[in-house]
Amino acid sequence: MNPSLLELVKQRTVLLDGAMGTELMARGLPQGTFPEEWNTERPEVIKEVHLNYFGAGSDVVSTNSFGGSRINLANHNLNGRTVELNLAAARLAREAAPPGKYVAGSIGPTGKFLKPLGEFTEAEFEEVFTEQARALADGGADVLLVETQYDLREALCALRGARRASGLPVFVTMTFNLTRRGYFTTMGDSVARSMKELEKEGAQAVGANCSLNSEQMTGLVKVMRPETGLPLIAQANAGKPVLSSGGQVTASQGLEDYVRFVPDLVKYGVNIIGGCCGTDPIYIKAIAQSVFGRKP
Amino acid sequence: MKKETLFLDMHKAIVDGDRARAGELAAEAVRAGLDLVEVVAKGYVPGIQKVGELWEQGEYFLPELISSAEAMKAAMAVLEPELQRSHLRARTSGKVVIGTIEGDIHDIGKNLVASMLQAGGFEVFDLGTDVKLDKFIEKAEAVGADFICLSALLTTTMVNQKRFVALLKERKLRAKYKVLVGGAPASQKWADEIGADGYAENAVAAVKLAKSLAPGRS
Repeated sequence: MNPSLLELVKQRTVLLDGAMGTELMARGLPQGTFPEEWNTERPEVIKEVHLNYFGAGSDVVSTNSFGGSRINLANHNLNGRTVELNLAAARLAREAAPPGKYVAGSIGPTGKFLKPLGEFTEAEFEEVFTEQARALADGGADVLLVETQYDLREALCALRGARRASGLPVFVTMTFNLTRRGYFTTMGDSVARSMKELEKEGAQAVGANCSLNSEQMTGLVKVMRPETGLPLIAQANAGKPVLSSGGQVTASQGLEDYVRFVPDLVKYGVNIIGGCCGTDPIYIKAIAQSVFGRKP
Repeated sequence: MKKETLFLDMHKAIVDGDRARAGELAAEAVRAGLDLVEVVAKGYVPGIQKVGELWEQGEYFLPELISSAEAMKAAMAVLEPELQRSHLRARTSGKVVIGTIEGDIHDIGKNLVASMLQAGGFEVFDLGTDVKLDKFIEKAEAVGADFICLSALLTTTMVNQKRFVALLKERKLRAKYKVLVGGAPASQKWADEIGADGYAENAVAAVKLAKSLAPGRS
């Protein structure tokens, strides 16, 4: 029998996947079409992206449901299909997963603010995340990945909602920026406070994604590691998008430069590693080679 | 109350993000018959500048920026009608048309930039999210804008910033407007590549950038 993902994390570094949106663009996602719609309209494409990541060496792929909360979907008049789209997202990743590989149900931020800045209460957010998490769990996710959180309060709502929805382990990544006083979220949450609160609320792994490239991420990892005893996640961006001479959008941090910092990330204590914006299966394959040697 | 004390209180109300107090003090200045242009320049504007500094120092974050911009709005809502009555203007920085570009509905960053520009003395026309390229041009032409600010959060939608600059050129309007781009995936390099006039990493930097490019300056 395969070890659970949490057991695997104890044994060795675990490899996540990279970006989804740009992979869908490369396969013709039209402007104005919300990526989650393709879970039902072009399921074969979503599955293909997952298969490519598994093929590149990912132990875990994350479902195409980052913007799948009812609040996000409402922006595209898809809120009536919240359960259907999240269920489909998890099923597609499950179907693509070879035996012994894992599916993380992706839960991104709502894009709205809690009171007093915004209109929503914490109870409302928690309810919305519970609904999404339940559908992802029902569709076959092994773990729920609350990601790219810039507001600790919202992250805690998602964590509570996800835990309420199922017995699955919940992982949480925050997104931090470097200020003159150190690393903080957009809302001003410090690394120490974020790690502590998430651990207290029952997260099974914590960490950071997005915003920073792999070099900058090493600096953040050094700060995060002493703040938690939980397995640590890092998913760095490949810099920022730039125009290639052919007019294509590519990542500013090239493959070689990106991968150069992978050994440091692992050395400084990352247990679960993957990519974020600008990364693709080629980056993941290179991370796999860096972490595991030739054969992932 | 002495004028200088009042100015200090106004400064504090903005730095504290205290809307009610900022509005009350503005009303007090009106009742006292003070020079309202001076009130804006010496009371409120230094407050919002201080907020920008605190943000740059990593002391303030998004919630504080929003509260302070709201306090500034509350004060200006009291002062502006009075200024207009005396045919005076406190806002001279320039006119800005801003929006999140078509295909993209993310508005947290765009709203913050709009608020800070307004607090910084610009007249701001916010077109909202998923704004068609044509609509930016229509509005800019209609109001006589100086700046067109395009926000995009996604790699998938930032390409529309590039399309917009091309469209302006095609309409022979490129020289008429300063085009500024922003959003998580954008960068100075991106702005240079697509031929935009500027890029700002955040709302505070956006105000500085717009001021440096404002009409009457070169």
